[in-house]
Amino acid sequence: MKYIFIALSILLLLVAPFFGQMEVSLSKINELSSIDYKLFWDLRLPRVVVAFFTGALLGLSGLVFQSLFRNPMSTPFTLGVASGATLGTAFAIVFGFISFVAVFGFLGAIMTIVVLFVLTSKLKGYDTTSLLLVGIALSFFYSAALMILFYLSDETQSYEIVRFTMGSLDIVGLLNTLPVVIVSILLLFIALRYKDEIKILLTSYDNAFLKGIEVRKINTILLVSVSVAIGVAVSITGPIGFVGLIVPHILKTLYKKSADSLLVPTFFYSGIFLVFCDLIARNIGSASDVPIGVITSFIGGPFFIYLLIRRKRV
Amino acid sequence: MLHVNNFSNAILSEIDFELVKDENLIILGSNGAGKSTLAKVMCGIIDSSSVKLFDENLHVISAKKRSELINYVPPKLEIFDEYISVNEYLQLSKLYSHVSVDEVIKLLGLQSLKDKACKTLSSGEQQLLMLASSILHNAKLTIFDEPTANLDPQKTLKVYDILKSESIQNRVIITHDLTLAYKLGYKILYMSNGKVEFFDDNEKFFEKSNLDKFFGSSLKRIDNHFVVNI
Repeated sequence: MKYIFIALSILLLLVAPFFGQMEVSLSKINELSSIDYKLFWDLRLPRVVVAFFTGALLGLSGLVFQSLFRNPMSTPFTLGVASGATLGTAFAIVFGFISFVAVFGFLGAIMTIVVLFVLTSKLKGYDTTSLLLVGIALSFFYSAALMILFYLSDETQSYEIVRFTMGSLDIVGLLNTLPVVIVSILLLFIALRYKDEIKILLTSYDNAFLKGIEVRKINTILLVSVSVAIGVAVSITGPIGFVGLIVPHILKTLYKKSADSLLVPTFFYSGIFLVFCDLIARNIGSASDVPIGVITSFIGGPFFIYLLIRRKRV
Repeated sequence: MLHVNNFSNAILSEIDFELVKDENLIILGSNGAGKSTLAKVMCGIIDSSSVKLFDENLHVISAKKRSELINYVPPKLEIFDEYISVNEYLQLSKLYSHVSVDEVIKLLGLQSLKDKACKTLSSGEQQLLMLASSILHNAKLTIFDEPTANLDPQKTLKVYDILKSESIQNRVIITHDLTLAYKLGYKILYMSNGKVEFFDDNEKFFEKSNLDKFFGSSLKRIDNHFVVNI
């Protein structure tokens, strides 16, 4: 069963670049002068690469946040990190820092994490419910600030902000995919490096402490790594919600294993999930692509409610 | 070996006592007296600079070193991940013991539970699991917080045998079971309202005057057994 999934996933990765508004034929992708060549190497392949590594990064981030914050609903998105990035980006668009959009998005994400960190250190022992509420409060605050920016912006700027908040995997050239690729692989590497510590932390914080784990240090390393990674991803693709929520949860129920052994599967299948969503986004409409954030949120919204109901029942 | 030097917080006040080399201890006291809080201070979960273990200040030593010196077994198993199995939990616990995980599983009769998720165990089974874990951890000093609270008579007897055996180095046992306290014969620390009311030898504690003072008419002594006077 497991191998069938892996085989199907790899097949999906291989065929994904060939589907879209325009057809690309396999025989022409090595002809330098053809349109197919440009389309494949400059647009389609970079897009699939970005989709895969962004998805992988979002999924892994979700898994790590859920494990450390002890709550299946805490992801960098539910905690307001993505809203922070959006606000930063909108700020850059409206106040004319258009070439630094990515930097501002990144700063917005980091700013949110700093706020969350300061608050967590005040809440003893990671009071996760309060933390989620703080995340929601922050998101509202950011929305209000975003409204002000809309109010101040002209038509083109408004349009750009709206486009950004919908998330986009448009990227031109393989070289431009490098930031996301590098950051997501680094994050996987760090998570695997602390695999054993994560496993002990999955029992209880007190138990990890008693077993000689430096709980605070490990937590800080992991949360900062995730936040930086999310900052980079969001500044490039915009907020793409729900990947980090759905994939880890489904894998947990399928594998029935502790979270530390799901790091690699989560990374892989979250990537596949976003490639799949993007494939739908690129082929569903006739005129142009449906924004990727729309697809993941359409799937993720109902799933989130399902999670809530299931938790209340248990 | 263990020295708590005049510690006070919201629950405890002026706790000051010392255990000398190889001295074991039993902590008794009414509900809410602060026994578990004291245990958390002793093992460092509640941070303080008042605790000295084997001549080292608990506040300044490394996490690794601390885990070698002290371990605390809480009254209830706390576990977040729903899929960690008994075997995995015990593998994580093996730190300083020469005994293998399988031997400890056998010792406590946990063979049939080996691949079950810890979360699905009954409270009694979880208690045995935590005892097994503490044997594998093998800290120099282990604090057991009500280790027999959820056990049937046979398991209580088994745990009693293990608690006084060589499987554990030095121990502090928090309990409400006075018969257990009496039979183990260790020094007694009795707490009430966050204060130490009694800290002396076992025999002294079980003198009639002290029992009357601490338990009144709620306790009945039948030979060497102490039962609740229902």
